[in-house]
Amino acid sequence: MGQTAWGWLIAIYLFLGGLGAGSFLMAAFFELSGWRYRSKFCPVALVGATVSGPLVALGSLLLIFDLGAGRMQPWRILYMFTHFSSVMTWGIYILSIFIPLALVYGFLELMESEPWLKGFVAARLPWLLRNGRTYRRWVAAVGSVFAVATAVYTGVLISDVGPAIPLWSQPVLPFVRIPMLPILFFISAISTGMGLTFDISATIADPEIQRRFRIMDLSHILLIGLENIAIGLLFISALSSGGSAAESARIVLYGPLAVVFWVGVVLVGLAFPFVVHAYAIGRGQHSLASGVGSGVGIVIAGLLLRYMIVYAGIPAAL
Amino acid sequence: MSETKVSRRTFLRYLLGTGALAAAGGVGVGLTQGAQAALARTDKPKARYALIIDTTKCVGCGACVRACNIRNHLPEGKSYVHIVQKGDAKHPWFMPVQCQHCADAPCARVCPTRATYHHESGVVLINEKLCVGCKYCEVACPYQARTFDEERGVVDKCWLCLDWVSEGKEPACVQSCVLGARIFGRLDDPTSEVAQLVASGKAKPLHPEFGTHPAVLHYIIEG
Repeated sequence: MGQTAWGWLIAIYLFLGGLGAGSFLMAAFFELSGWRYRSKFCPVALVGATVSGPLVALGSLLLIFDLGAGRMQPWRILYMFTHFSSVMTWGIYILSIFIPLALVYGFLELMESEPWLKGFVAARLPWLLRNGRTYRRWVAAVGSVFAVATAVYTGVLISDVGPAIPLWSQPVLPFVRIPMLPILFFISAISTGMGLTFDISATIADPEIQRRFRIMDLSHILLIGLENIAIGLLFISALSSGGSAAESARIVLYGPLAVVFWVGVVLVGLAFPFVVHAYAIGRGQHSLASGVGSGVGIVIAGLLLRYMIVYAGIPAAL
Repeated sequence: MSETKVSRRTFLRYLLGTGALAAAGGVGVGLTQGAQAALARTDKPKARYALIIDTTKCVGCGACVRACNIRNHLPEGKSYVHIVQKGDAKHPWFMPVQCQHCADAPCARVCPTRATYHHESGVVLINEKLCVGCKYCEVACPYQARTFDEERGVVDKCWLCLDWVSEGKEPACVQSCVLGARIFGRLDDPTSEVAQLVASGKAKPLHPEFGTHPAVLHYIIEG
């Protein structure tokens, strides 16, 4: 199929980076908008804040595992901070700021809901517990900048290879020379983050929560629409530019990756959640199964989308 | 008593500060030494040599592929040169491809560690001491000229047999080409055959639309 240098480890990393960043943004949004304080216990903020750091850290670990000499001699990773014309160098700065921030954010959320941790913090760091909300707001606000950077950079990373892999560097529109993948990956990051923190976690914790945040159904419909447009434009652009880009589009649309695309991404990740959320808007709430089911679908599709893009990257013909 | 306590604390603080400074200095020296290990690095590459491949003479025998394999002690089946078959089944022709030593090399731009760099002769080289093996350069090379050495965990590619070349000899692929489809010489000498072929426009860079400005390799392609 496509290029062989990068495989599924990179695909999973791109997915985890987006999922972690999206989860952080969800928690931060609930924190900064004050929605988190509408009820005593907010599963969205708790799950979003606690999983984002470990998810992105796990992704980075896979990235290190994919290295050659850097895995055997990890100090070489320090050299990766030195070349600012490389998007990978930006990435390693973004990750080294975002992961600690997200871990701190997770701690600030956990100390409110875990009784043993709350007791520990109250005894040792009472000032932290007293001003918990202020610290959370700051970490959420600053962390959001780096969460957006994490989600967008995963797309910039692979689109920056330019003419080498035409599919990855397809522009948004022929006259807009911005690559499409950063935008697509950002949309997918937000929707997988919503899927994990709201549709899956919050629905399991409290199925009634759907009634209180009906805006989530509308947001999902909006994001599914945007993702549809982005994927559509990407493949129209690839097909019309011919060469390797068109070949990439063909293996996705009716070649070896067609099942991954049509079943995994389109049916499970776009069509099914669309129906569920449209139905939920009419009915006013989800059942436990439909809420969790569409969330799982969106998250799985996010992984398959990255997998599909990585493996469909066919090098330019010589 | 309290005075000794304070001075001890101050002493410890200084000790800690010195330690941190030394550690930072060590990392800094390490990083610069790593960067310096690649000698004759330049930011303004100007090709001193040219390697012209005459596709009208190449029959795709693979002698250059094999010679490169032996010269660089590469495992069986691996080479820095690959032969692309062009044309159709009835009228095939062959185009050996290897590192084009681009002036605007995307591999050097995307390398996060500066492992890939321009030698003062314009040749693109890899400092293996700096390479982490992320394979970003391999993905970003539009000529698919880079390979990954699983054993050492670093990326490698054609280095124009720079040791032989600086002794006035020709690269292994050129020496092995029995049909004379590979012409090697000095580009900075306007009287040389290669300089004249390039100047006359008979030998051209491959795929200039990639925008990487291949500097050393040029191709003679009919039609």
